[in-house]
Formats: sequence, C-alpha cells, structure tokens
Amino acid sequence: MSMFARYPWLRWIVPAGIAAAVLGGGGIARAVVALAEPSLPERSAAQLLVDLQDFKVNGLSGTVVERADLGLPTLPSVAAGSGSTDLASLLTGSHTLRVWYSGPDKARIALLGTLGETDVIVNDGDLWIWDSRKGTATHGTVPSGQHSGTGLPPISPSALPSTPQEVAKLALQAIDPTTVVSTAGTAKVAGRSAYELVLAPRDKASLVSQVRIAIDADEHVPLRTQVYAKGSDSPGFEVAFTSVSFSRPDDAQFQFNPPEGAKVEEQPPAVESAPDASSHRQDSTTAKAVVGTGWTTVLVTRLPDSLVAAVTTGAAPSGDRAGDAGEESQMLASVLSNVPKVSGSWGSGWLVRGKLFSILLVEDGRLLVGAVSGDQLMTVAADPAAALKDTE
Amino acid sequence: MSAAEKAALRESGTPGETSAAASASGPRSQRLPNPRFLRSELWLIFGRRRNWAGLAVLASVPLIIAIAVKINNPGSAGGEFNVFSSITDNGLFVALAALTVEIQLFLPIAVASISSDAIAGEANLGTLRYLLAVPVLRSRMLAVKFTAIVIFTFVAILLVAGVGMLIGLALFGGGSMVSLSGTSLSFGTGVWRILLICGYLAIELSALSAIGLFVSSLTEQPIGAAIAVIIIMIMSFILDQIPPLDWLHPYLFTHHWYGFTEFLRDPVSFGGPVRDGVLNAAAYIAVCYSAAWARFSGRDVTN
Repeated sequence: MSMFARYPWLRWIVPAGIAAAVLGGGGIARAVVALAEPSLPERSAAQLLVDLQDFKVNGLSGTVVERADLGLPTLPSVAAGSGSTDLASLLTGSHTLRVWYSGPDKARIALLGTLGETDVIVNDGDLWIWDSRKGTATHGTVPSGQHSGTGLPPISPSALPSTPQEVAKLALQAIDPTTVVSTAGTAKVAGRSAYELVLAPRDKASLVSQVRIAIDADEHVPLRTQVYAKGSDSPGFEVAFTSVSFSRPDDAQFQFNPPEGAKVEEQPPAVESAPDASSHRQDSTTAKAVVGTGWTTVLVTRLPDSLVAAVTTGAAPSGDRAGDAGEESQMLASVLSNVPKVSGSWGSGWLVRGKLFSILLVEDGRLLVGAVSGDQLMTVAADPAAALKDTE
Repeated sequence: MSAAEKAALRESGTPGETSAAASASGPRSQRLPNPRFLRSELWLIFGRRRNWAGLAVLASVPLIIAIAVKINNPGSAGGEFNVFSSITDNGLFVALAALTVEIQLFLPIAVASISSDAIAGEANLGTLRYLLAVPVLRSRMLAVKFTAIVIFTFVAILLVAGVGMLIGLALFGGGSMVSLSGTSLSFGTGVWRILLICGYLAIELSALSAIGLFVSSLTEQPIGAAIAVIIIMIMSFILDQIPPLDWLHPYLFTHHWYGFTEFLRDPVSFGGPVRDGVLNAAAYIAVCYSAAWARFSGRDVTN
C-alpha cells in the first residue's frame, strides 16, 4: 500500500494484469485444450470405422455448434446470420443447436435464434416442428421401423445434416475405393477424449480435401465433423458438440403439446407414397440424374418451370406474376444478379463457385450441384447423361 | 495506512500470528461496510428528483405498452409469435416486452448517467473534496459508490419488470406462459423466469456501470462521462453487427445482453450463453472497477 502511495502509477498494474489474465487466460485455456492431446490406446482407421457404424447410445443430450463458411454469396433471406431460426439459414454463418436423443423414436433438435427457436421433435411416431417466430406447430407422423443406424429423425426439414451423427453417416456412405482413410491421433472435443478419423478423396477433382471426424473414445459417437476445402486450413463446414452428456434425457423432453393460440398444421402421413426421400422426389414434377461417382458425384435436378421462366426472361422482378411463386422467383432473381453468368456448348447459365461445392443453374432449368470445381460442372452439363428427359 | 497494513497482515496471518490477528480485530469491526455511508450514497441516487424522473420514465414504458395493446388489440392476427403478440394471452409478457424494449436504450442510459455521475458529478459540484475529507479510504469509498450503483441497476430493472407484471396481470390476466420451445410454463415458473431474466440483465448492466465508474473517475464532467459511456455502448452494438468481426463478438459486453432469451426456453441451459454472459460481465467489472480504483485512489482532487 505504501508503495502504491509513493508510485501511484503502479496501481495501473492491477487492471492491466486483470485484463491480461482475462484475455490471455481465455486464450491460453483454449490453446491448452487444443494442444492437450489425450493419450489413448492406438486404434486403427478400420476399427474406428466399425466403431462409427455400430455405436449404440441409450441417450444423449448436448449443444451442437454448426459453422459454415462455404464461400456462397450472401442470400437475402439468410443474411440474418446467427439470429435467424430459419432452417435454411444453416447454410451460412454459425448456429447453435441443442439436441436430445433417447432412442430412435425419441429425439429432439432445437435450433436456437436470438428471439426464437425452431424445434423438431420425434416422439413415438409423432413428428412435430415448432416455429416460435411464426407460432406454428406442424404435426406429421414418422413411419416406424424404417430408421437405420443413427436413429435420428429421417425426415429432416432441411437437406443439411444437423448432427455429427448424420454428417458422419453421410461421409461413410461416400466411402468406397475412392477414399483414403487414415487416423490423425486424438483430440479433445466438448471436454471428451476422441479419436480423429480422416477421410480424403483420391479423386483430385473434388473440392473437398479431407473430412475429419472426431469419435468419442468411450461411446464411439462422432463428436465433431469437419469438412476441409482444398487449399484451406480451416474447415469450410463444421458440426461439433460443445457440450455433451450421455445420460438418457427425461421423457418429458420429447413431449410436445402445441400451446394455446398456436397454429397447428397437420401433415398427411407420407407412409405409402414413398419409402424414402429420393423416390418421393421423383413423384413430383422434378426429374433428376446422378453423374459420376464417389466424391465427384454431380446431382442434376430441374427447377419448376414457372420459377425458371420468371428468372430467364430477363432477371427483372416480375411482381405482377401472381401467386406464391412470385416471391420465390423474385428472390432467386436477386440472388442470381450477384452470380456470374457463364456459357458454353451446353448453353448458358449461372455458376456459383463455393469453397466446398459448386452450383450451376442452366437456363433450360437444370440445376447441377456437386463437390467439384465450376469448370467441371460445366463439362458435366454438356454430358448427355446430364440432359434430363422430361419424364411424365 | 496502518489499518491497511494490519489488514494485510491479518489476511496473510498464519496460526502462529494469532496475536496479530487478535489485535487487528479492533480495526476490522470498523472496516466492515458502513451502512451509514452506503445509505448516504443511496440517498444521493434515490433522493434526487431527476433520478425519480428517470425511474418514472422507465416505469412508464410497460404502462404504455400494456395500454396500447389493450386499446388496439392486435389479436392473434398474422400468426406472428413474439413477446408483443403474446401479451394478450398472458400479462407477464408485458414485463418481457418492456425489458426487451428498454434494454436497447433506456436502461443503459439510466445506468450510464447514474454511474458517470458517481465521481465526476461530485467533482463537478465541488463536493468530492469534502467527501474525501471524511476519514475513509478511497478504495472503500469507491466500493460503496459502486455498490450503490449496482443496487440502482437492480432496482431499475425490477421496477420495469414489476410494473410490467402488475399492469399486465391487471389488464390481461395471468395463466400459463408459452416458452420459446413451444411448451407451456406454469404461472409460478413464468414469474420465476422473469426474475431470473431481471437478475441476468442486472449483472450485464453492472458491467456497463463499471465502465461508467471508470470513465467517471477520469473526468470532472458528468455529462461528458455519460456521453462517453453511451458512445462506448453504441460502439459495442455496432461492432457486434459487423460479420467479419465475429471473432471479436464474444468479447463485447453488449453481445451477451440478449442471452436473457435463454430463460424463455424450456429447459433452460445455464451452461451456454448465460454462463458466457455472466463471465463476460464479471471480466468487464473486474477490469473496469480496478482501473477506476487505480485512477481514483491515485488522483489529485483539485476542486
């Protein structure tokens, strides 16, 4: 104290020290977590793959953070970033989800927004989708006995996988002779020790350089999945648990009764119409084709004619085109106005070059998506296999 | 200084030094927070007519919201589900709507003006000299001043929530409350959640008041200090809106204010945003309060 009295400036050491401790402490703590490789017994890539395929958990709950840096142009509707609870917004930015899982027929995923929440709840054959922004609850049924492996709800309202399990499953489906599988030591994820499995495509045309899956050492559950783009040392897409507990959540967690005043929409059961999603899609007006195999697979689909017509006849907003397609085509047109136009022997269209995948919309309505470079996508567009015949 | 040295001795006291500890017990009883000093500080805040006016403005917002909704009932048209449209279903939402509105500007301005007044205001009036003539350590004076500001912060928030709940229940009635997760919370749980939100917001705003206390110790112009605090806050808001700076966002104190929505989910997770928000506020309080201490206890008071 007397020293402080003689040299008053010495007091400033205290706030400076606290600030350094807070900033440095946080940074160091994170660095230590990142560096501290837990020592675990060796486990080969094949063993890890098996672990992945038949892990069984009685229940789990946790927080999942999803980050996407796909290099896509900012879409007007998803610019809200982390605050948005729109399921489509998962394509950009960072999002937090909370998951509860208690067997194949009891699961709940909550996408958290600043002042909203979207819940997907599966409970004994019932599927509820609750949207707090709109105040709507959508009720559907899940055909029982058709779940495989992971047991997460097969009806995902967005095409984007939202849990590490789902992502790992998709990655494993892509494994065939096209993939180099290796291990990359151990890692700490959500405070748990995990093995890291690395999948790298053999095909150099793929935009994906590697997929890293961190697998819990005890429960064999994927805790983190990262997808790295070529020439990038930070993941372009990442889904990771930030906290996880393997105790079975309470059954009350999966009970959903739409609150008073909420709009309840009933979805007709889709049991007999389609055993899986792909054939269901063929029932509608869109045709589709798959060109290539493995990591360089290109999916070709067709956009609804009305939508394409509105966009191709000059990207001018056609507001007078009545109907609900008007808003959609207007949005599409505004997105496309920021997208470079390309042309070739296959025609002309708009090309989105993302970090992990490219999208090509041809003027004749074909939409090509693949984890390949834009140039390759254009080559595929010229391929007769990608020429969609109008199936009636 | 001798009392402080004895205190230091007491804190580092080993069992062998019981005599020193015993002899220090005399000064210790004097060093306990003096309720009279705190009371006079609270009187400085709550006795002033301008602060009464400020609190009245804060309390008017829930009244305006409730009456406006009552007169011009939007019903459940549009299907939008938010704190405003839920008011008609449950009066408790008046408190939530008022807090959501006021946390953006009114409550921070109130806290900023009170905290910047703490030292700069007294220096400006020339009363700081007389206050320092009181035989009290400056560090203790600062602690008492900060305590009074934090009490004001809690009172202001509880006032908004309390008025909101009362007018809401009077006009719209109570009942169960719909959480963001779509579940129904009982009335008691709803009230408890609102109290948790009040506590969380008060902790978050205490970080702002610590910043205000520090800025206040730098200057003799209370208005300048208040404006500086509000500029700091708005700067933090702006930085929080710039996507390329997302690495910075968790360090901004305003970034965590909306973490209170966590208490509207079911179940509440105390681990994620809530913990981050409280840790962030604690860090700001520690840094800014110690900086205020470094400045205030070493400062020459000239007027």
